[in-house]
Amino acid sequence: MIEAGHFAAFLALAFCGFQAGFGLAGDRARSGLFASLGFAAMGFAFLTLIVAFARSDFSVQLVAANSHTLKPFVYKIAGTWGNHEGSMALWCLVGLGFGAAADWLMKSDRRAFEARALGVQGLLSLGALAYLLFASSPFTRLDPAPLQGQGLNPLLQDPALAIHPPMLYLGYVGYSFVFALAAAGLIEGRIDRQWARMARGWALAAFVPLTLGIALGSYWAYYELGWGGWWFWDPVENASLMPWLIGAALMHSLIVTEKRGSFSAWTALLAVLAFCFSMLGAFLVRSGVLTSVHSFAVDPLRGSILLFGLLAFGGFALVLFALRAPKLSGGPAWLAASREGAMMGNNLVLTVATATVMLGTLFPLIAEAAGQTISVGEPYFNLTFTPIMALALIALPVVQAWAWGKADLSSLWKWAAGFAGLVAVFWLAGIGPMDIPLLAGVGLAIGVWLLFGAGQEAWRRAKTLERLPKLPLRVWGMTLAHAGLGIFIVGAVLQTSGRTQTTLALQEGETQSIAGWQVRLDDVSSVEGPNWYAERATLTAERGGSETLLQPQKRYYPAARMPTTETAIHKTGMGDLYVALGDGRRNRAGETRWTFEVFFNPLIDFIYLGVTLIAIGAGLSMFGKRTKARPES
Amino acid sequence: MKTVLASLLFLLAAEGPAHLDDPEQEARAQDLMREIRCVACENEPISNSGSDIAADMRERVRAMVSEGKSNEEIRAWFSERYGEFVLFRPSADGPGGWLLWGTPFVLLIAGGALAFAIRRRRDRSRDTIEPVAPEEAG
Repeated sequence: MIEAGHFAAFLALAFCGFQAGFGLAGDRARSGLFASLGFAAMGFAFLTLIVAFARSDFSVQLVAANSHTLKPFVYKIAGTWGNHEGSMALWCLVGLGFGAAADWLMKSDRRAFEARALGVQGLLSLGALAYLLFASSPFTRLDPAPLQGQGLNPLLQDPALAIHPPMLYLGYVGYSFVFALAAAGLIEGRIDRQWARMARGWALAAFVPLTLGIALGSYWAYYELGWGGWWFWDPVENASLMPWLIGAALMHSLIVTEKRGSFSAWTALLAVLAFCFSMLGAFLVRSGVLTSVHSFAVDPLRGSILLFGLLAFGGFALVLFALRAPKLSGGPAWLAASREGAMMGNNLVLTVATATVMLGTLFPLIAEAAGQTISVGEPYFNLTFTPIMALALIALPVVQAWAWGKADLSSLWKWAAGFAGLVAVFWLAGIGPMDIPLLAGVGLAIGVWLLFGAGQEAWRRAKTLERLPKLPLRVWGMTLAHAGLGIFIVGAVLQTSGRTQTTLALQEGETQSIAGWQVRLDDVSSVEGPNWYAERATLTAERGGSETLLQPQKRYYPAARMPTTETAIHKTGMGDLYVALGDGRRNRAGETRWTFEVFFNPLIDFIYLGVTLIAIGAGLSMFGKRTKARPES
Repeated sequence: MKTVLASLLFLLAAEGPAHLDDPEQEARAQDLMREIRCVACENEPISNSGSDIAADMRERVRAMVSEGKSNEEIRAWFSERYGEFVLFRPSADGPGGWLLWGTPFVLLIAGGALAFAIRRRRDRSRDTIEPVAPEEAG
């Protein structure tokens, strides 16, 4: 069975070759046919892997190394991509899937251009498939087959992490087709309004799952690691944030190119960079050059091959860009205070923010080469990334109403006064009973400011209540995404500066208070699951007469010889009461005290609600009515 | 042997949730714990780590805070003892520090200036620019 899959993957490799060859030669129909055939072949190959995992076929090396008969069925399936080889197979499948989707969905009159885009996409898939088959094959047999598998990293036995990699890869690899479109446009020397219209849908189709994938990873880290936080500026998190930031910049730059024909070279560059940063992310995670709490696969040789691939494809695109960019035409003239200027500011901030994340992530490596070992963590990003992004967020509501070419600045003072007033309100409230530090007050003001700005812009465009529902989907998408950003900021600021953390040490029957809650430890007992056993504490938390049961666990997975924490989270309207079980320690009198990390995380769901709104907004604006092309002058 | 074990257990029990009584001092200690790296784990601050050495380091932070040591002094102490590696907030001294801390802001200013300069060259027709409202474009 797995041999048939192996063969199918080689077929897919051959089909990719034809897709690339015919595509670059300008044969749209044949290139598209082979893209679809390649996807079908790879789909079958991936299916054989899933079947091998589902049936716990330990004669397949990958299954033996990463699965176990006692694992719940869903996680056997998810185990297919919960390891290096399987995740690379998923990468290939998604890449070929985007090629096939492009064949079905692209229906412009520019056949030669479409063929070249399919051709470049074929090249990218070819590289990924060659890496899969020759450097990290998941199709290897094991003889004799062991009776039992070694289990999966227990941290991955989790619903959010089961769908996190497919989501993330839809985003990462989705940008491969945006890259292909940019390369094809550069080959033709035509990055124009029609090109931007075609590329925009694909850029959004990658951005939406990437956003959701990052959110899922963050949510997983929140409830699984037991640290009470949601973002740790960990190298692996940063690796996914970089393509997201570039993707966000690209989304805005594409609007300028689509509507005005300006920024064409810059947009092409961003389209190329989005996939380069996706590859950089894969390299950072898969090579293990950076230590991380999320890194599950580490291999230096594979890392160097990935790095070579990144340099080869990135270099190819940048050379192409350097050759063609000077020949691309710009749109009509514009002043600094204009919609173009605003979008330029957006792009400047987002790319500098990306560069900052990259510098902070890679700096320990650079320092190590110079003989120093240093760490760059949260304090660095809080003092660089955060203020730079804050600049753009403060400006956003003001500049989003600006006209193309030349903005009307007569109401600028109203906006400035409005923001100053908002900051003053939060600051004054902070001195009083709410006890908000000044910077947190500014942060909250920015969140509310964005919410207000999103509503104001929708209102400005609709002008009357009746017309509000009739606004184009693109405008609704923008409104939801910008409002989501505001809600996210409110949640993030409150979580960062408003949470309480306490370590409790309790004996059975003992009660202590935290953040207005009375927490009582009822008992600690042993429980067993299919492939783990655990100590489970039962706590009763009481506030204002209502009681709630919390059962945090410390799990142990014998097959993987690894402990994990299972936090208990009680959601209230105002935030999460969050409990992680620590160790039990016996004192001289023979009494056992259990330690608990207890957090109250105010309004943390705003973070995930906000990010989800951003994804929904981006998704909605994909389906807006297409604007008609005007004759280009 | 038994007495050693007993005293060890006693020590463990005595450690407990050694919170500082002064909430301001405790908040400062917790902030510091979030930016000091556990030396036995992968990329975790001591505030999060469950390892024993992280617990010792946390206790050290609280002790120094209650002695009235400044944040700078505490960071310097840890840096001297374990190497600069333990600080998640690397120092801004020396060329490396300047590069790390300065680059984002230099990029922002230089990038803005560059974009403005490129735009200025194209901007020859200031008075003839017709503003187009965002909802009308395209």
